Amino acid sequence: MSHDARPVTIVMIEDDEGHARLIEKNIRRAGVNNEIVPFSNGTEALVHLFGVDGSGEVSAGRHLLILLDLNLPDMTGVDILARIKGNAHLKRSPVVVLTTTDDSREIQRCYDLGANVYITKPVNYEGFANATRQLGLFFSVIQVPETM
Amino acid sequence: MPAPAMTISSRIFARTTISLLVVGLLALLAIVAATLWLGARSQAYFDEVLQARDARTAAVDLRNSVQTAETSQRGFLLTGDLSYLVPYAASKGGWRAHFEMMQRVLAGNPELGASIARVGTTIDEKFAEMDVTIQLKREGRDAEALEIVAADRGKALMDEAHAFFARIIRDADLRVAEGVAEQRGNANLFRWVSIIGALVIVLVVGGSALAVWRYTREIIASRAAMDALNAGLEARVEERTADLAQANEEIQRFAYIVTHDLRAPLVNIMGFTSELEASVGSVQAAFEAAPAISAENAGLSDPVTDDARRAALEDLPEAIGFIRSSTKRMDGLINAILKLSREGRRVLKPERVELGELLRRTSESIHHQLAESEGEVSLALDVPAIQSDRLSLEQIFGNLLDNAVKYRATDRPLRIVIRGRTAPENRVVVEVEDNGRGIAPQDLERVFELFRRSGSQDQPGEGIGLAHVRTLARSLGGNVTVKSALGKGTTFVVNLPRNLPRPSGSTAK
Repeated sequence: MSHDARPVTIVMIEDDEGHARLIEKNIRRAGVNNEIVPFSNGTEALVHLFGVDGSGEVSAGRHLLILLDLNLPDMTGVDILARIKGNAHLKRSPVVVLTTTDDSREIQRCYDLGANVYITKPVNYEGFANATRQLGLFFSVIQVPETM
Repeated sequence: MPAPAMTISSRIFARTTISLLVVGLLALLAIVAATLWLGARSQAYFDEVLQARDARTAAVDLRNSVQTAETSQRGFLLTGDLSYLVPYAASKGGWRAHFEMMQRVLAGNPELGASIARVGTTIDEKFAEMDVTIQLKREGRDAEALEIVAADRGKALMDEAHAFFARIIRDADLRVAEGVAEQRGNANLFRWVSIIGALVIVLVVGGSALAVWRYTREIIASRAAMDALNAGLEARVEERTADLAQANEEIQRFAYIVTHDLRAPLVNIMGFTSELEASVGSVQAAFEAAPAISAENAGLSDPVTDDARRAALEDLPEAIGFIRSSTKRMDGLINAILKLSREGRRVLKPERVELGELLRRTSESIHHQLAESEGEVSLALDVPAIQSDRLSLEQIFGNLLDNAVKYRATDRPLRIVIRGRTAPENRVVVEVEDNGRGIAPQDLERVFELFRRSGSQDQPGEGIGLAHVRTLARSLGGNVTVKSALGKGTTFVVNLPRNLPRPSGSTAK
């Protein structure tokens, strides 16, 4: 990942802790050593990203890459995506949607809202492990801009 | 209106109508009979009156004739003028005709017979007397002629004849009067018969009209009720159909959600099993590197280390193996349900499909599998193009043919026959017949159930093919049934509408 002075933080919003752990393991296997901050619900993740005041200033100057599941217990990931892409401080942060839904309208909607990558979690574990490992390889080469 | 009430009233209606008709017919017959009888009676009275009148006329004519003769004779006797004798001659020649007429007319009256005969002789005698006087006068023997007249014999004869005529005339007048009275009575009777008959007929017609009116009203009422019922039924059918569509949609959604939610933890189980396997791998590696050390300290064999070694090298790999095979199977099942629910949610696209062409192409897709076992497919198709969903049709027949290949009998070459024909009610029927291992009778319906398979489980599969086929066939508005003889072969019968009903929009996600 970015080799600037300020390291990139991966914010992982995934309600299934098992999935979160497996994703983390497979990303790490691809050689990604960046800090991963996991959240298992939308509310806490929003507080982390936008601050208690919800303005997003708290994220100014951070290098963030957001890994987002759409099926969350307290809200839908689409709303989080919309808020991120609609926020002046966060809109440039890459968002990778990693979810089980393969509904074409849902995919279109996410890209319309500004999602950078949309990945459907493969049905079987081998595929899942493979996909997350490749995602990790992808993370190791992309540039993440600094938030404003 | 409930059906039984209607049949009862129709039976009552039939009975009422028939009895009314019978009464009406009887009344008519009575009127006709009475009319005929009264007519005959009237005729008899009329004849009698006529006869009486004829008798009277004949009697009067005869009397006049005799009187004319007498008057003529007197005139001649008084004057001696021969011209007075002209009427006499006419009367003498004609009276017998009048007499015979009277005799004929009164022939049916035996009590007068004797009197008639007597009056005949009386008149004869009278004419004889008059002839004698006239003859005497002609001979100039006036005194002798007047003597005969003065003898009053002629007057006596004439009085007798007059008495007779008076009797006949009186009698005839009486009979005419009687006949007229009788006729009047007859006419009266006829009037009464007509009035009563007319009353009966009016009653019958009125009763029939009333029955018909009431029955018609009932029929109209029941038809209205039936129409209302029909309309209600249609509405109910529509309601139920909508309910069913909704229930179906809910089931599909439910299946989709369940499979998705089941899959998330399964991915974890599989993932961590994988992790566990990797960890066990490193432990195994550690133990495999250890034997040399433990061999050195053979006497110091540690039971704890031995247990750990056995766990790492035998127990853990076995447990992981079972977990793996179970999760793999579960994954397969979940994917099967997911596939079915996805199929159920797919919006059908009706288009013109050459069914024969589609079947030919589908059968070609298994040619290479058939060639391996010297099998063959033959087609006997007489099917038109249909309006349906091509993908569903391909999957239905593809599945059926795959099954035929999969479950063929191992001791003989596979023979598949695909037959297609049109069926009543605008449908087509396609039969896929094979000579495979067959299905036991108790499994015939079970094979269509999800995850159920029949016979020896020597072929890979989840048991979803036929469930899928049935779901597809039903979503196309058709059905699939099976006939089979165990050990001989199986025939699947697919029945489809020629025109796929328009999607009702309930398949939306």
